[in-house]
Amino acid sequence: MEGTATPRITCAYLNSYVGKHVIVVGKVVQLRGDEAVVDADGNITAHLNREAHLSPGNGVQIIGKVNPDLSIKVLTALDLGISVDYALANTVVEISHQHRALFAYD
Amino acid sequence: MAYGGYNNEGGGGGGGGGGFNVGGSQQGSSQAGGGSKYNDDTLRPVTIKQLLECKEPYPGADLMLDGQSITQITLVGQVRSVQPQTTNITYRIDDGTGLTDVKKWVDAEKADTEGANTFAPDTYVRVFGRLSSFNGKRHVGAHFIRAVEDFNEVNYHLLEATYVHLYLTKGPPTTGDGAAAGGGAGGAGDSMFVDNGAGGAGGVPARVLSCSKGAQNMFSFLHNSPGGNEGLNLAQISNGTGMTTREIINASDELLGQGAIYTTIDDETWAVLDY
Repeated sequence: MEGTATPRITCAYLNSYVGKHVIVVGKVVQLRGDEAVVDADGNITAHLNREAHLSPGNGVQIIGKVNPDLSIKVLTALDLGISVDYALANTVVEISHQHRALFAYD
Repeated sequence: MAYGGYNNEGGGGGGGGGGFNVGGSQQGSSQAGGGSKYNDDTLRPVTIKQLLECKEPYPGADLMLDGQSITQITLVGQVRSVQPQTTNITYRIDDGTGLTDVKKWVDAEKADTEGANTFAPDTYVRVFGRLSSFNGKRHVGAHFIRAVEDFNEVNYHLLEATYVHLYLTKGPPTTGDGAAAGGGAGGAGDSMFVDNGAGGAGGVPARVLSCSKGAQNMFSFLHNSPGGNEGLNLAQISNGTGMTTREIINASDELLGQGAIYTTIDDETWAVLDY
């Protein structure tokens, strides 16, 4: 089952997940063509696919693969609207790394 | 005797929040035991990984999770695929920790209204149901599925699942200030409360918010002091925060473990790790 799991991470964890699929929840800071900057406890560059429809200022959930340069290649992006509690999302990431029995495969 | 009472809602499972009395999956084992099984029913929030990894003490027994047998469960995840079949709709649900099949049985009488009511791929849904094994393959028999309208419910659910897991494995949360002395493991229990995380957005990273109170004190003192590259040593922190040497050592262990601070010129001098 390990292959199907997509850990939730923030900017700080990018380094440990190069080449892996991850979930990032953050706020769209900037949109430049097919590139977006997403703030998830730090700015992350995301290379969007054609289906992604993001709006600046909205929350977004990105599922994608972490590139060696610590950007993310987006597989799916889900617009979350404006009422996203980012502090909560970041706390969940920390919790999910502390209590690995529930969330992670070692 | 009392058993009859549980049956009176027979086919009404799909109606709303309360209708979880389903006669289906438990018939084989529980009929003889009467109502007691139902009295033990709990509605447990879980991650999909927990469902995939929970164990059967012996073949045919109830599946166990953290020493409790699993009865009703609730999970939140994204729909990955939908397969409508004649008797049920099978969803593949993904919550980031794993993938599982969720089967929602179609009520023949309501087929017209429910048929249109499937959930599109990529939508977040909350599922209430029962875990069952069939031909060695596990799936969740859903009593009720609804779309998640507020995304925060997804995070809320994950925290709730963690809370219940910690409650069952480590006991109820400790209250008061005893947490600081408890060190790493004790502090983790307290950190479950969300208001903890939402409250202090003032430049303190999320990974510190999940530490014990002592560690948070120490971090904010380090963070707010102009210590330069060398940071502050034990005596300075003790003077500034009023914490004892012991408390500071415990707090520093926790913060080091979280990667929030690092030691500088010697083992008793720390600086905030910024990146």
